[in-house]
Amino acid sequence: MEDQELKEIYENAMKDIEKIDSLDSLNEVKNDYLSKKSRFMGLMAKMKELTIEGKKAFGEAINRAKNDITTKIEEKRILLEQKQLEKKLKEEEIDFTLPAVNYEIGGKNPFFIIQDEMIDIFLGMGYEIAEGPEVELDHFNFELLNIPKDHPARDMQDTFYIDENTLMRTHTSPVQARVMQEKKGKPIKIICPGKVYRRDDDDATHSHQFGQIEGLVVDKNITLSNLKATLELFIKKMYGEKREIRLRSSYFPFTEPSVEVDVSCDCGGKENCSKCKGTGWIEILGGGMVHPNVLKMSGYDPNEYQGFAFGVGIERVAMLRYGIDDIRRFYQNDVRFLSQFKRK
Amino acid sequence: MKVSLKWLANYVNIKDLTAEEIAQKLTFAGIEVENILHMANGTNLVIGEIIECSMHPDSDHLHVLKVDEGKFGIEQIVCGAPNARKGLKVIVARVGAVLPKLTIAKTTIRGVESNGMCCSLLELGVEAKYLNEAQINGIEELPDDAVVGQENVLEYLGLDDVILDLKLLANRSDCMAMFNIAKEVGALFEREVIIPPLKELQVLKSEFKVNSLTNLCKQFSIREVKNIQIADSPKWLKERLMASGVRPINNVVDIGNYVMLLTGQPLHMYDFDKLPSQNLCVQSDFTGEFIALDEKTYQLQENDLVVMSDHKVMCLGGVMGSLACAVDAKTKNIVIEAANFDSKTIRHTSTRLNLISDSSQRFVKGINKDQFQYVLDLAASLLEEIASAKEIYEIKTYDELDHTPVVIDCSCREINNRLGSHFAHDLIKHTLERVGIKINNFDGDNFKALIPPHRIDIKLGADLSEEVIRLLGFEHIVSSLPKQEVTVGALKENQLKKRQIRDFLVANGFYETLNYTLVNEKLSQYFKALNDFEHYRLLHPMTEDHKIVRATLLPSLLETLKYNLSRQNKNLKLFELSDVYTKIGVESHLALIMQGEDEYRHLMQKFSFGFAHVKGIFEALMDMLAIEPTRYKLVRVSDKFKELHPGRAVEIYLGKNLVGIIGEAHPDLVKDFDLGKAPVVMLEINLTKFLEMRVSPIKVLPPSRYPAVERDLALVAKRETPVQEIIKVIKQSGHNMIRQVDIFDVYEGEHISKGYKSVALKIIYEDMTKGFTNEEISTIEKDVIQALKDKLDIKLRG
Repeated sequence: MEDQELKEIYENAMKDIEKIDSLDSLNEVKNDYLSKKSRFMGLMAKMKELTIEGKKAFGEAINRAKNDITTKIEEKRILLEQKQLEKKLKEEEIDFTLPAVNYEIGGKNPFFIIQDEMIDIFLGMGYEIAEGPEVELDHFNFELLNIPKDHPARDMQDTFYIDENTLMRTHTSPVQARVMQEKKGKPIKIICPGKVYRRDDDDATHSHQFGQIEGLVVDKNITLSNLKATLELFIKKMYGEKREIRLRSSYFPFTEPSVEVDVSCDCGGKENCSKCKGTGWIEILGGGMVHPNVLKMSGYDPNEYQGFAFGVGIERVAMLRYGIDDIRRFYQNDVRFLSQFKRK
Repeated sequence: MKVSLKWLANYVNIKDLTAEEIAQKLTFAGIEVENILHMANGTNLVIGEIIECSMHPDSDHLHVLKVDEGKFGIEQIVCGAPNARKGLKVIVARVGAVLPKLTIAKTTIRGVESNGMCCSLLELGVEAKYLNEAQINGIEELPDDAVVGQENVLEYLGLDDVILDLKLLANRSDCMAMFNIAKEVGALFEREVIIPPLKELQVLKSEFKVNSLTNLCKQFSIREVKNIQIADSPKWLKERLMASGVRPINNVVDIGNYVMLLTGQPLHMYDFDKLPSQNLCVQSDFTGEFIALDEKTYQLQENDLVVMSDHKVMCLGGVMGSLACAVDAKTKNIVIEAANFDSKTIRHTSTRLNLISDSSQRFVKGINKDQFQYVLDLAASLLEEIASAKEIYEIKTYDELDHTPVVIDCSCREINNRLGSHFAHDLIKHTLERVGIKINNFDGDNFKALIPPHRIDIKLGADLSEEVIRLLGFEHIVSSLPKQEVTVGALKENQLKKRQIRDFLVANGFYETLNYTLVNEKLSQYFKALNDFEHYRLLHPMTEDHKIVRATLLPSLLETLKYNLSRQNKNLKLFELSDVYTKIGVESHLALIMQGEDEYRHLMQKFSFGFAHVKGIFEALMDMLAIEPTRYKLVRVSDKFKELHPGRAVEIYLGKNLVGIIGEAHPDLVKDFDLGKAPVVMLEINLTKFLEMRVSPIKVLPPSRYPAVERDLALVAKRETPVQEIIKVIKQSGHNMIRQVDIFDVYEGEHISKGYKSVALKIIYEDMTKGFTNEEISTIEKDVIQALKDKLDIKLRG
């Protein structure tokens, strides 16, 4: 760049751009050097004195200088814009420890958590969910389950009667009888969850109302061995793969043989374990092979069909799972209790 | 049933077995041992003799004793018992002894050293009911022939017994007899059971007559035994009774109880000389008063079984004898009865009169009908041995019972098919024989099983399969899942919808509650109009609080809300989905309740739960159930619901049917339940009715390809004009081009005349086939404004 003046303008421009620290002043500088009234206009007078070649070369030199300045300004603009953005972001900074917008979720009473979970396990095994009335006829609750009037087994389940023939069901088993009558001799694979009622004073371990889930499978060739396997599968899903079950002989009027089922405790043999009392086993459910009389009364030929049935208490399963100390908590619905069940 | 192992050991060899081993086996075989008890407990015991007895220098009731303990030497013991005296043989708990309630240590009592303690049986853990006053108040007085220095004191006292406390289930009433427990233990451990034979009795001819005039007693037998001497029972008999939980009385009564405990057959004893005639007859047609042994008067009615003599009631059969012919200390001659009374009848009578005894319980559960002769022989020979009976008479019997033994046709295949097992013929036969079942004819796979008479629970092949597996052990069942046709497990439509509703509410901050179905009178009356049919009521409620089957859910939720508020729980959102019942039938209801504020939603942005919250939940539920707003109707609440704020509640209708309410609690209801200051808002719907509605399947419309246009309108309407009406008119007059109308402000006050409100809303125009020009929008808008003016007298604002 031979022209001293051009050189000066150019170098001043570079210096000016360098010093700029705001977008506003950048625009001023741009105006100074690149607008129609810019300093380069003063150089135009010189052009007249030059040869054609000289004009061309000088023109090119000015353009080059202008281009350089434009580039420099745009570079500077990006830089300044970035700085301005950073500053803005800095100003927008929040205290991330402030309380969040509250999307509070609720929770299910653990009774329903366990009931839903058991339903899902048996759905997975291809069971249907059957339901029946809680205000039930004596006929379904007792008679069709091989518990005729004055049978001593009626003492086992002290009953709330509504009238001579109507009662609050004492177990979910009447749904068995109802389903059998409905299916009229076809195979059955159901569970029946629900509330049941017995004359009991409410205390930490007794409740006049509690939940039960009843299972019933009827088909040709159903055996006690099938019941054992089914319950093993259920218990492992419910409590974990390491759990085992054991069967003890028992008595229910509607099954023969009848069994009590214990599940192994997870306490690892603690002597004062509150769940198993140091025995290593927890009584968890009852079941057995459907009594031939029960099949017969509901229209199944016991020589052709066999079935197994089992029943499990919902609160009991929940109490063991979560370490709940008192069955009344299910019915108090204290949200300080319920809010612990936002997850399962 | 309490089983003395010492007594049991007379019939089956259990010497090498611990109580725990026996208990475990029994429990797994279906006879649960609830507890293992000890008659008495104590270590470091020795028999001593008081050789010196002087008063304690610093006490008016303590004695200072020198007690000779044989090889342990002579010890000084301070003793407070009033009967401590020189020459008395006593039980000494030596220093270090562990007794049920205390441990003995060397001590100094008011300055005098004491090394040990002289004991009462109470201190060794014997129950007070077996002890007399002197035994309870003082130390035990041992007989003079007790050997000083002898250490096995509990054995010497006959108190070294271990008792199994059985919890019998209804099918095994046979185990209410020691002989049958012995048979059970014998079967489980495969050991021989020895029932000692009775010696031949010399019997005299009897003139006595027995009869039954009722079907409820088919067998009635008696035996006269005369010239007996009432006295205390011998030690062995007392011990056995005490171990069984029965208090010894005298030899005759004790023999009755002993024979029942041994055989399971209840006996009754009459004083022969107090009977009005030599005739006993069972009847079930007596009505009138009866004075029983307990000196109380009972009102008897038809179908109570009574034993009559000369038209007088001598015994309430199977339940309790009459005071008039009771055996007492002067009794010389007795009549022993062994009968078979109908179990249902005894159950009715004993529960009605609240007279439940060891006898009645055995009749209720059923007894062995084939053993009455043996039982009467056993009783007679014991009376001869223990009560010096001189004259034993022949048995007189009325017997119409069918004594044909039970024979079951069964097969090994049937048993294996039931159990899912592969037990061999021999194993099955051998196992069944362990419990006394006789298998005679093996015809290929089939056999006939002859059931022993005490096992009244075995009636079918299924029962035999149970015997096999409980004796062999359930660990022999190999698990295998059922081999069936594959079925798809899925919730039914309604079950799925209920699950989705519950999940939705939980996701929106509600807690799912579980409440009692049985409620009190007061709760049953709230919100009755929601399910206004007759309630089910319990015949015999246990408490006032639980006597009516609830027909609605809100009352329970209000109680739950109150429970939580009284525990300082705040900002509550609760719901319940449950069946409710009336005499008309069952319905599923959904109820929810909210009180408080979304106070933590974010910092300062709080607002109280109100009607709009619950209405919003309801509308979301309707969306979930695909029920269009046109299909239900919200109507301002009527005076059927005194529980609700008359201006802030609605009834929900499907057609003409009232199916629910949404609203704020009436101040009276808030007061009734003491629910505090913040408004309580709630909903209850008859979910069944909504689930029954038919909904059309999803049919997808493609979204419009043309942009929608939004225009705002500010209107002035009369205060009482519902915005729903405004929206309706706008949509009707919008040339089918209005997709949506959103209300974004409602205002009353300054700049708006009294009795009017300003409503600001946004109208979204959309056409599926084309875009709009401004002129087109303006044309529609003009029609909308005209319609609003014509139909609702609404003007544009400003």
